[in-house]
Amino acid sequence: MENQATEPIIEFLDVKKEYFLYKNEKARFKAIFTKNRGVKKHPALKGVSFKIYPGESVGIIGKNGAGKSTILKMITGVSFPNSGTIIVRGKVAALLELTAGFSLDMTGMENIYLKGYLLGLNDDQIKEIEQDIIDFADLGEYIDQPVRTYSSGMKMRLGFAININIKPDILVVDEALSVGDADFQKKCRDKINDVIATGVTVLFVSHSRKAIEETCTRAIFLKDGKVQVDGTVEEAFDAYDKKK
Amino acid sequence: MIKIEGKKFDWFGLTDIFKEHKGKLRQIRMLSVNELKKKYKGAALGPLWALIKPTFTLFILWFAFEIGLKRNGGVHFINGKYTQFVFMLTGYVPWFYISECIVGGSRSIRSNKQFVTKLSFPVSNIMTFTSLSGLYIHVLLCAIMYVVLLCLGFGPSIYNLQFIYYALMMYLFFLVLSWMTAPLSAFSKDFENLINSIITGLFWLSGIFWNTYDISPLWLRKLMYFNPINYFVNGYRKSFLTDTFIFDSNYTTETVVFYAEFIFMIFLGAHTYKKFRRILPDVL
Repeated sequence: MENQATEPIIEFLDVKKEYFLYKNEKARFKAIFTKNRGVKKHPALKGVSFKIYPGESVGIIGKNGAGKSTILKMITGVSFPNSGTIIVRGKVAALLELTAGFSLDMTGMENIYLKGYLLGLNDDQIKEIEQDIIDFADLGEYIDQPVRTYSSGMKMRLGFAININIKPDILVVDEALSVGDADFQKKCRDKINDVIATGVTVLFVSHSRKAIEETCTRAIFLKDGKVQVDGTVEEAFDAYDKKK
Repeated sequence: MIKIEGKKFDWFGLTDIFKEHKGKLRQIRMLSVNELKKKYKGAALGPLWALIKPTFTLFILWFAFEIGLKRNGGVHFINGKYTQFVFMLTGYVPWFYISECIVGGSRSIRSNKQFVTKLSFPVSNIMTFTSLSGLYIHVLLCAIMYVVLLCLGFGPSIYNLQFIYYALMMYLFFLVLSWMTAPLSAFSKDFENLINSIITGLFWLSGIFWNTYDISPLWLRKLMYFNPINYFVNGYRKSFLTDTFIFDSNYTTETVVFYAEFIFMIFLGAHTYKKFRRILPDVL
């Protein structure tokens, strides 16, 4: 057990990522046959390494384009690195794209199952949390209506309810998250804090020093695709504010 | 646990595709039904439209050939003479599915973009459920065709069951083809347009209207073996009209050529899929 506890839950080892910039559609078509020769590249991550251990709350800060989203996309398994190794040990709940994967023509109920499958759960596991999701989303009769009839706030609520209830090992939160009205907003914040209190690992993306200080004990400051500072929240923000 | 590393060799990407499908049966079934709902949403007749369109086309064909043109020559095929209508009916029904698979398959990743760019989704499942949703319609259409054939005095015969083999192989072949076409089309819209523009050509080059077994010269007839569409179209006719066994010794060359192509496509498809899988989220 001792050994397991010290095993990092997220591990980035010299991760590099480049995006290809095609001049136009013609260049893109040509690239199929020429293996991207002569295509301009934009380096998004230039060798990023860090380790996050179970139970840690880590803030990620940096200006737009510093590589925050790229890192989050890799942790959630959407995007892949060009080189380097990424290890993620556990189930990730990302409060980023809450409505992604919803099928508009299925009912809210069917979407709970669909989204559950997409997040890697099986029937039994979904049944277990089904009621929690329904209660939290609080959609009333609408839960049996097709999602296309939902307002955008309702969709968000359902999306949030599913993502937060899957009992994740790792929770990825973007501060810019907006979920419906003020009341529900507060309900979400409380729920996030509840989940954090259970001891999951948290990755928190924000520009606000106050928000990060509240939840995190550690922060990573990214600049131009590199880890500039990996230390206490204070250290990271001091560097961040200076560089600005 | 997710572990993502640089590059390593694994059977041209076939292992990737198998892994992506492991334990995903329910998800695939659900999404294939959803695909149908998406296509016919809002229409009062719903998925019935999927049957109405081809049925109507077949009716027009019947009208044109049996009433309008009054072609009483018919078509010689393997062991007898069949009316143009019956010959076309048995060719057109598989063709509907084939064209749907080629066009829909190549579009599948692009039209399910959100799975690629916003979720950690086994992308190869997209092709599986897209082709599967078409298969439901195809089976229904075959049932209608079978009733028509029975009314016209064909069958029933044990050979009719060969349909299951041909339908399954058709599903698999065009699924494997879309492992290649879908990532390429997602990468470049021009590739998608390319596919769309050759589909009409494929129709006339394949034996849907005419018999590929009796053209001359001989080398051209042999060349036709390389068109897998012919394997299926003629296979349906062998099952429903002529009672010819799938592995009939007269058609060994054709069978061998088909299987060679199939195996080649499996590796080419898996290889292409693997090559593009990792860059798809960035380019879509």
